[in-house]
Amino acid sequence: MKKGEIVLSAVCLAFFLFMLSEAFQLRGQGRSGEVGSGFWPLLSLGVTTVLSLVWLVGNLRRYAREQKGGPAQPPAAEAVAAAWARRKKIALCSLCLLGYILITPLLGFILSTALFILAFILALEEKRAAVLILSPLVITAVVFVVFVKFIMMPLPKGVGVFVEFSRLFY
Amino acid sequence: MLDLYWNAFATVLLPKNILAICLGGLWGLLAGALPGISTSMGVVLLLSFTYALSPITAFCMLCAAYCGGITGGSITSILFGIPGEPSAIPTTIEGHALAKQGRAAYALWLFIICSIGGGIFSVLIMMAATPVMANFALRFGPPEFFSLVVLGLSVVASLSGGSVMKGFLACFFGIFLATVGTDGITGGERFTFGTEILLGGINFVTAMVGLLAVSEILEEAEQPFQEYKSSVAYKGLRDELPKLSDYSKHWFLLLRSAVVGTVVGSLPGGGATIVSFLAYGDASRSTKHPEKIGHGSEEGLMAAETANNAGTGGSMTILLALGLPGGNATAMLIAAFMIHGMQPGPMLYASRPDIIYGIFVAMLMSNVFLLALTIMSIKLFLQLNRLPYTAFSAAIMILCVIGAFGLNNSMDDLYVMFAFGVIGYFMRKYKIPIAPAVLGLVLGDLAELSLRRSLLLSLGDPLILVTRPISLILLLTAAVSILWPLFKKPKLLEGSENA
Repeated sequence: MKKGEIVLSAVCLAFFLFMLSEAFQLRGQGRSGEVGSGFWPLLSLGVTTVLSLVWLVGNLRRYAREQKGGPAQPPAAEAVAAAWARRKKIALCSLCLLGYILITPLLGFILSTALFILAFILALEEKRAAVLILSPLVITAVVFVVFVKFIMMPLPKGVGVFVEFSRLFY
Repeated sequence: MLDLYWNAFATVLLPKNILAICLGGLWGLLAGALPGISTSMGVVLLLSFTYALSPITAFCMLCAAYCGGITGGSITSILFGIPGEPSAIPTTIEGHALAKQGRAAYALWLFIICSIGGGIFSVLIMMAATPVMANFALRFGPPEFFSLVVLGLSVVASLSGGSVMKGFLACFFGIFLATVGTDGITGGERFTFGTEILLGGINFVTAMVGLLAVSEILEEAEQPFQEYKSSVAYKGLRDELPKLSDYSKHWFLLLRSAVVGTVVGSLPGGGATIVSFLAYGDASRSTKHPEKIGHGSEEGLMAAETANNAGTGGSMTILLALGLPGGNATAMLIAAFMIHGMQPGPMLYASRPDIIYGIFVAMLMSNVFLLALTIMSIKLFLQLNRLPYTAFSAAIMILCVIGAFGLNNSMDDLYVMFAFGVIGYFMRKYKIPIAPAVLGLVLGDLAELSLRRSLLLSLGDPLILVTRPISLILLLTAAVSILWPLFKKPKLLEGSENA
């Protein structure tokens, strides 16, 4: 039983309970004699709340059963290190994506895409120099030609000096 | 009707549409062939390329990608022993065993011909069945539509994998997400918390890009890099050409498999995986050489492949006639309809028959072209499997970003995509199935509107849903569809207890 699953089911329950309380405030919306705006959200959130509760209780019961059987063997140091390395990788990849979304309006599509690709493949622990150098250039060029030149998508050009840079290309 | 077919052929056979079929087919084959990319992800990523295309060109590309994805999953199955798609598992068992016996080319020929043959068979059935079903569905009022959507949602139990409880949780989460934004009847705001981003609701294309594609890349990122190398000798398809009699002596099995694929594929939840296992099971029971099953049985391979691709025509039939998605890939095709301002279903059949017949012909031509594309591209895919996955992941992530951005040219959609990418990652990590959430999100709005309209018609009496015969039959079918897997797997909490 992963402790993470207990946490996730508790977070789900808290989230759906909060949304359910919001849904109760929608009950009055709508004309007299009609089914109001709150009916469907109350129905769906009621079910999700009950299911989250069942999930959480099931997880807690299972955890308690496992504890009764004696404390579990602590994982090996290598396994703990590997798990942390995986989490770090996922966190870095997610941050790269979030960073890309944040900087694209500022730097424009071309520069931010090239930077994102470099950061993302580094986060994926790519070490081959050829891949690190060529991927940002080739992928950005191909995507740019297809979407900006061929499909004519108005991708962000950036602000200030970066607009001037983008205008060199489109 | 002949006029419609004539016009559809004339349109689909325009050079730009043939190019769209070839590009979509190649992309689908690639998505299916590469482990880590699913057919639905292939269709999601292709959506961004179709924004600027005319509807029929877009559907030519997407239909070809859908059929190609199902077909392509078997290439890596036979040569590497790695199923590109879950539906290709029987192919992996039999096809890879044949390949290890030095008969890779023979296995590939059996797969190609049977897969394309099954696809063409199901498209012909689709052409005959869709008009009949759509005309029947034109009689539907709000109660029937509500019951139909409930039937569509009833596949949750089948799509849930390990835990039915988690499947329902995901489904109702999707239904809740569909309520965010402005209420379609009263115009009131729901769960927007004063933000403009949520005022128009959660765009399900953006959410699906996050849930299906971004989360898959994040999950793959956890795995160490792996280069796929073929463990079997393969020089080319000319190594061993099968004889016509290799197919004709199994004609009845092939016909049965094609029928099973088409019929079961058209049932809600009857995806490619179920049909390929059903046909494989049938072949293993009826074969005269049971000792070969699991060790390179031609019959097992041919039956699974025929049914596998025949499922595409079945799924498309209920999508076009009733507007119901059977799974993720067809849910993405609903998104494609919406991007082009259309809602699939009986009304579309009545108002835009050119599009519907165009899709019939596009599906047919996709299968015809896939025959050539698959033969030509096998060696190419073998090389592509050696590309650095890191660069490939980055490229897919860029496609996700462009796909989400291109919908409304809005950066806000990218934040929504990111949020759903993270949610999808945790769903995958804790074995909460994503497909039911997608179905809930796609069908939730229609379910709510049709239920509320039904209750308006009946002045608030919910019995309207069970007093109209079609509605009652649909609801009973939905109940059977929900309860059947529960009876087969009585422990509602199975997944949560064992995960």
